[in-house]
Order: sequence, then structure tokens, then C-alpha cells
Amino acid sequence: MNGLGPLLRDPEASFEAEDDYERLNDLYFERGWSDGLPVIPPSIRRVEKMLAYCDRPWDKPVGLIPPRWGEATPWRLAANAVMAGCQPRYFPLVVLAIEAMCHEEFNLYGIQATTHLCAPLVIVNGPVARELEINCGHNAFGPGWRSNATIGRAVRLALVNIGGAVPGSGDMATFGSPAKFSYCIAENEQASPWEPLHVERGFPRDASTVTVVGAEAPHNVNDHESATAEGVLRMIAGTAATTGTNDIAYSGEPVIAFSPEHAATVAAGGWSKAEAKRCLWDHAWLPLGRFSEENIERRMRVKFPERLANAGPDTPVPLVQRPKDLIFIVLGGAGKHSAFIPTFGATRSVTLPLRRRDGECVHSVEELRGA
Amino acid sequence: MSKTNTFIIPVAPVRQRAAVARGRKAAGTGIRFGVLDNGKANADHLLSLLVEGLRAALPVSSVVSLRKRSAADGADVAILDQLAAEADFVVSAMAD
Repeated sequence: MNGLGPLLRDPEASFEAEDDYERLNDLYFERGWSDGLPVIPPSIRRVEKMLAYCDRPWDKPVGLIPPRWGEATPWRLAANAVMAGCQPRYFPLVVLAIEAMCHEEFNLYGIQATTHLCAPLVIVNGPVARELEINCGHNAFGPGWRSNATIGRAVRLALVNIGGAVPGSGDMATFGSPAKFSYCIAENEQASPWEPLHVERGFPRDASTVTVVGAEAPHNVNDHESATAEGVLRMIAGTAATTGTNDIAYSGEPVIAFSPEHAATVAAGGWSKAEAKRCLWDHAWLPLGRFSEENIERRMRVKFPERLANAGPDTPVPLVQRPKDLIFIVLGGAGKHSAFIPTFGATRSVTLPLRRRDGECVHSVEELRGA
Repeated sequence: MSKTNTFIIPVAPVRQRAAVARGRKAAGTGIRFGVLDNGKANADHLLSLLVEGLRAALPVSSVVSLRKRSAADGADVAILDQLAAEADFVVSAMAD
């Protein structure tokens, strides 16, 4: 499409207003089209610049976003990306992340509407992470990088505005989370001793991908002492296997974000990623008796009847069902910390490659411009 | 004074779902009532109270009560099929 003109015939598509930044922000906030922070008003010119990086039909939904089941069309997503402060070249990743979240196994309805405090975490792999300068080093979960901050924010605005995840109605989170403002990182592939996440999942190393995980905020694992692979993994396992995490009661895929130093320690003995996952899984469990009586009877025995229906208090309850359910990435800068990122539990992560409309993978967003 | 401009509304329309083609009518013998427990703690208690109240107020001929595996997941297709086959209307509820 060459312009938004035909799409604007719908009276619910746009409105005329005085081009006054403060007044427009008040208006967007009053109508609930906001995350509480100021937005960039999505004028036609700005939205069309965003859409210059979209080779899909602008009016064809890439998915329906629950709980409202709003149509996630590229042009409405572009409006949210403008509001978030995205550069136009970031837009393909916003679209891809939303598309991935709309896959059934991700259970976006549950993630959007739950009382739990999860938010979709966007993990970027491949050359596009460098192209867009997505932070994978120091303070990767924190502020300071426009791409991380605004891609994650665009996703959140779309989940609110298109999906209806309005706090207290569509989004029933008891607490919510700072991760609901923005939650986007790239894997630190250069500092990793292992194959990166997208290669582990069958994509070529030079493919660019987005992985979405229905995740809590990161929990730190401080380990300045362990000098062996098993030592580091035991410390992470001890942090991860706790009674209140959703992963232990469902079938989640929690993320372990290894700092480069911890990853190097684990890999130093020749440990592959799969071997390290097995070791962590072996140590990440709790005895059933650690749960309250009510949770044992009403939750654990009901959810896992094959293993726990008649199990005694010493029976091990694993953090996840299988070692391969652990997602390992390398992230961050110097320092002997790793992060455990629990999930909603009733969700599976989804990885999609950056590709043209004809399905061919591309390495960079520039390849999509005006295609 | 600022000029006027056109701005995009970031809220997307909801896709229209097909309406139920055939109206459901309760059989002459009474209402077949279905309840879907979403798996939350105490949802079963809440629904039991609801069934009790409906039985007292309406001609209920049967009650089918099913429970989701988890509040966090959608209902299995088998559960939805059974409710569609055995109930004239269904109430789903949560409780914490």
C-alpha cells in the first residue's frame, strides 16, 4: 500500500485535533490509550514512516489480541509503535513479536488476563540485534537503549490498546510488574560459549529471530564463589526451585540468563548447553513436604496425579518437567550474577524468524524496507 | 495557534463473531444446566451455591458440572463439546 488514505474512511480510524503535544497527550491518557507515560502523537505522516518498514498488507491482522480479540493490523500496530517512540526500523520486530504472542501455545489470553504478574519478554537473536543496537550487555534489562525501551513499550501499548489489557478489567494482575512497561533484550551471542537460542531451536546462525516468553521480572542469582560448573548450576537451582513459582505447578519454560562469566565457568569443563541443562534440572527440585498441606492436596496431587497422587513428603517435585524446558541464554556484562526468570507456567515460548511476506528469511530490517 | 492534524486511533476493532444460528430452547422437561469450574480455589463452592439457587428458582432437569484442568488454560475441546451436548446454558465462574 502507498498510503493510509483508504483505511481512514472508517470513522474509528482517526480523528482531527489541534496539533498540540500537551493537549494530545492529555486526550490519549483520558481515553485510556496510554501506559501512563507521555506518548508521541501518531500522526498520519509518522505512522506511514513506520509502515515503510512493513512489507505485509497494512490492513491484514497478524493476529487477534485477547482478551478483547482486537485485530492486530500493521497500521494499528504502527500507531502504537509511534506512540512508544520507536524508530521506524524497529517496527518489523514489533510486528514479529506480536505475531509470535498470538500463537495458541503462548496462551496470550491467560498471560493478559491473569492475576499473576507476568509480561511477555521479547528476546532478539541474530544480526538484527546488532543492526538495531539492542542492548545485550551491561544493564540489559534496564534503561538506556532506545531500541530495548521502545520495542518493548510498543508491544505493551498494543497489548493494552488493541488487546484490551486494561488494568483492573482486561488485565487482572494483582500486582503487575515493571516489566509491563517494556521487556525486550537481545542475547549476548558474542559472549556465549554455547550456540545461541535461535540456533538451538533450528534456525541458521545468521537468521534473525524473536522469541517471546510469558515471564516474570528477573530474579538475581549472586554467586561470586563457585568455580565449577556444578557449583554455579547448584546456586541457580537453589534460587529457582521455590514453592510459589508458577513453573513448578504448571509446565513452564523458565529462562536462565547466564552472565558471560558464569557461562564461561559452566562451559570451562567442556559442558554443552544440554549437559548443563540436565545438571541444573537434577538440582532444581523441592521435596513435596515443603509445600503447605492445602497446596499438596488441592494443587500438586491434582495437577500431577501420576507422580504425586499418593506421594510422601520426601518425593522430589522438579522445577520443570524436562531438562529441555529450561531456556538458557547468555546476557549482560561483567559480574558474577545470573538471572532466573520464572514464567506464567501455562505458556510455551514461541520463536519466529524475521522474514519477507513470501516466507523467505531476511537478516536485516533494511531488507524489508519498501519491499 | 497550532494547526490541526489527523491522528490515528490506536485501538483496533474487534472482529465480528458469527452469531449463533439456531436459538437454543430448553426441553419441556426443564432446563439442562451446565457449570464450568475454572479450577480456581473455591470456584467449586461458588458454583455449588449457584446450582442450589437455580434449582430452587427454576425447573432444572439436569446439571452437568465440569472442571478445567487449570485456571490458566482454556477449557479442553472435550469439555466444551460435552457442555454443548448436555447443557442448554452454561455458567463459568472463578473464585479466589
